Amino acid sequence: MSTLDALRRPRQQPAAPDGGGAGRRLLEVRGLTTRFDTPDGLVHAVNGVDFYVDRGEIVGVVGESGCGKSVTIRSILGLVRPPGRVVDGTAYFDGVDLLGLRGADLRRLRGKEIGFIAQNPFSALNPVMRIHRQFANIMAAHGVKSDGEARDRARAALADVGIAGPDRVLDGYAHQLSGGMAQRVVIAMAMLLNPAFVVADEPTTGLDLTVQRQILDLIRRLVREHGQSMLLVTHDLGVVAQYCDRVVVMYAGKVIEHGTVRQVLNDPRHPYTQALIRAIPRPGQPLVHLTGRLPDLVNYPAGCPFRARCPHAFEPCGHIVPDAVTMASGQTYWCHLRQEKEEVG
Amino acid sequence: MRVLRYARRRMFFLPVGLLSVIVLAFLLVNALPGNPVGVIAGPAATPEELAQIESRLGLDQPLWERFVTYIGNLAQGDLGSSYYTDRSILSEIVRFAPATLELVILSLIVAAVLGIGLGTLGAYYKGTMADRTSRFVITTFQSIPDFFLALLLIYLCFYIAGWAPAPVGRLGLMDEAPPTVTHALLVDSLLSGDMKIFRSAVAHSVLPVLTLGIYYSAYFARSTYAALVPALESKQVEFARACGLPERSVLAYAFRQARTPILTYGGILLAALLGGAAIIETIFSWGGFGEWAIDSILQLDMPAVQGFIVAAGLGTLLAFTALDILVAVLDPRVRYD
Amino acid sequence: MTETLAADPTTVTAPTAKKRRGRRRLRLWVPVGVLTAMLAAAYFAPLPHDPTEPLADTLAAPDGDYWMGTDKFGIDVFSRLVASAGVDIPLAVSGMSISLVIGVLLGLAALHRGPWGERLVRALDVFQAFPLLILAVALVALMGNKIENVVIAIAIINVPRFVRLVRSEGLTIRESRYVEAAHAIGATGRRVMFRHVLPNMTGIILAQASLAVAHSIVVIASLSFLGIGINAADPSWGAMIQTGAQNITTGQWWVAVFPGLAIFLTVLCFNAISDQLQDSFGRARQR
Repeated sequence: MSTLDALRRPRQQPAAPDGGGAGRRLLEVRGLTTRFDTPDGLVHAVNGVDFYVDRGEIVGVVGESGCGKSVTIRSILGLVRPPGRVVDGTAYFDGVDLLGLRGADLRRLRGKEIGFIAQNPFSALNPVMRIHRQFANIMAAHGVKSDGEARDRARAALADVGIAGPDRVLDGYAHQLSGGMAQRVVIAMAMLLNPAFVVADEPTTGLDLTVQRQILDLIRRLVREHGQSMLLVTHDLGVVAQYCDRVVVMYAGKVIEHGTVRQVLNDPRHPYTQALIRAIPRPGQPLVHLTGRLPDLVNYPAGCPFRARCPHAFEPCGHIVPDAVTMASGQTYWCHLRQEKEEVG
Repeated sequence: MRVLRYARRRMFFLPVGLLSVIVLAFLLVNALPGNPVGVIAGPAATPEELAQIESRLGLDQPLWERFVTYIGNLAQGDLGSSYYTDRSILSEIVRFAPATLELVILSLIVAAVLGIGLGTLGAYYKGTMADRTSRFVITTFQSIPDFFLALLLIYLCFYIAGWAPAPVGRLGLMDEAPPTVTHALLVDSLLSGDMKIFRSAVAHSVLPVLTLGIYYSAYFARSTYAALVPALESKQVEFARACGLPERSVLAYAFRQARTPILTYGGILLAALLGGAAIIETIFSWGGFGEWAIDSILQLDMPAVQGFIVAAGLGTLLAFTALDILVAVLDPRVRYD
Repeated sequence: MTETLAADPTTVTAPTAKKRRGRRRLRLWVPVGVLTAMLAAAYFAPLPHDPTEPLADTLAAPDGDYWMGTDKFGIDVFSRLVASAGVDIPLAVSGMSISLVIGVLLGLAALHRGPWGERLVRALDVFQAFPLLILAVALVALMGNKIENVVIAIAIINVPRFVRLVRSEGLTIRESRYVEAAHAIGATGRRVMFRHVLPNMTGIILAQASLAVAHSIVVIASLSFLGIGINAADPSWGAMIQTGAQNITTGQWWVAVFPGLAIFLTVLCFNAISDQLQDSFGRARQR
């Protein structure tokens, strides 16, 4: 049994990309570089990240905490605050470079074209403001000024995420909700204006296991129904296997491998991806831990960032940054351990 | 309603707090070794004169008896009368407190506007030149002693520029005081309808209000900065931004989170200012509560000192209670039980 | 794209970690140096004039002889100002030191489980509700108008801040894992307090102490401005400002402004030291 089949529970085939935008890039990120100028030195959080999301696709971004996945999505959304700064790169979204947008132009895209599902609903929702006011504020920010219309749409959005008594929720506060309910409210807010693209930042952290499944199923259903694309950030390869079409593996602020979920999980090329897959608990097999720590992001190592933890490290890894190796299938990885036959030019 | 129940229970603490203030006032005045008899009688007094004064003031009685008399009188609303002027302390408080309240409230408003503005500027532009500038200004404001700032402002605005009137009180020497209604000159002059006097009263308030406003703005700025920085970095604000809310609303979200500590600090400052304005009142011959307290203390006028402590303590307790209730009303998460 | 790191545009402009540490250290040692210089001058430097004896020239403007002019008694402002540093700063520091010892001990005591810790803090809250300057004035006036009573008053009004700090910090530290571990291996309560809890808050206590000195300098100056505590003949900044207060409305600014600036500089230094200590210890804790 392959790794992928072991991880994947029965699931329907991904919906066929809708005709209009088939095969077209929705988001293309190139050379994204973000630094944090902290008192302890310059932190190299994101270092030349390249990836893309096609229309109708769910792309997982995976890596351990501190690998830069969260800074990556914040860079794209323009949410990096000082002392952080996006210093290089482009992120073309529907033909517009998000990184070049300023102030109001970027603000109008957020919420309307790009929905954001936050990690922990209780820290994301405003604790001292009634839920309906928060919905109304989002709509007012995008031109829906009438409170009545705002309320109707909020009610519809809540019904969409499976909340039975939307009025009771709308008139209450976040702390009166259960974790699962609160996360549904956050999803409803992200989906409110039917954005073409959804970014979900570890949307199930802190929830019960059963609720996690429900929430992820809900998000996937909504994304598919609305024909949206999604970037799903997670540290859980199991979630990637079950819910994503393609996967981007990050390490120390770099993409070290990406490809379709089937390719990457069945045939991981980068030693780090291989280690991540081995670290997934599986019945009947001993747990394999990934030893060592992330490299110091202030004094960023020369050569391959994974070298210190890599079982296969050899001479060039210490001083040469590995180039991208793209296989015929499109799977790409950044490692010196290449097998010549797979290389395409 | 739950807030009402909370308010009622919070109110139960008032008598307890007031009692401790009363005991504190009594002990501070009676248990410390300062002896007013010698001060009143003067250095040339004979032992007989001293004994006579002592018995007139009731200081020959044992401590507990004095305490019982004191409490008994207090219960009847009698705070005693001044050793020197024989005026009733209660009427003195009614006469002096409004001037101070006027000064304190105006100063607090100036301090809040200036301080919250400075703190917000620094917090919002954290890590930039604006942040460093605001921090520099805050540290400067905080390090200038208020009485020195008052003198500097008098020198610059009165002596050099001539913008402000002479620091001789709440009105000019030639101005006629309006008929007394509330003892608060700004209110009284407005009530009397004499705009010339009102303008003069406003002009005379500018420098003392500015002094206290600038000095105490540093505290507002610090607490605003401390509360707003984590609020602006919170996930909540980030989510609001990610939903496309304009920066104005984002800042409003952050403020909703930060307002409780800022409000609490405002209450503490109000309490501090009730007496803390004393030195500024002295400099501007303001004729206020704090000035009266300091004069009484220096003369060892015990009933006045006691009266001041009780009145200031009561004012502070009321302010804190009102503040706690306000915070509870504003924050739905406060547990009422 | 593998070249991005090599041609990093920000590493060139951003200061290195070493430079930052240097700058941070400077922000601590410059104010310490200024204060040391002030005290050294007060005790050892030869003064141009006698700081207490009146000279013939009253209210002389600053010039080559009288660097900061003279006051209405004809006392050289500069000499008196330098001498005052030797009175005001030691008073503030000694008053603060007493409150530090009492406050820390009370704070540690308040950490004991049970109702008394909570009650102590409540009692101190009532205390905090009282205007501190008036309290200081009352204490000195009622205990007797003597310089040692100024120290006692300063000590008393600063106790609550140390109690509150030690208690709140201690509660946090007590929850931490290593203190649990110390308890687990059988260390006694007192030993845990003095070996584990207290050393871990030294930095933050020192920061608070510096802040308390800054505040005490202002309170002492306010007292002597009101003519309380320090003998009017002895040099002190507050009394100097009081002397110059009448002259300010007639244009002789130097009598009050220079001692005011001296207080400002001193308070600024202690505030800066406090900020710096808080910053560096806060950072050390985060790691």
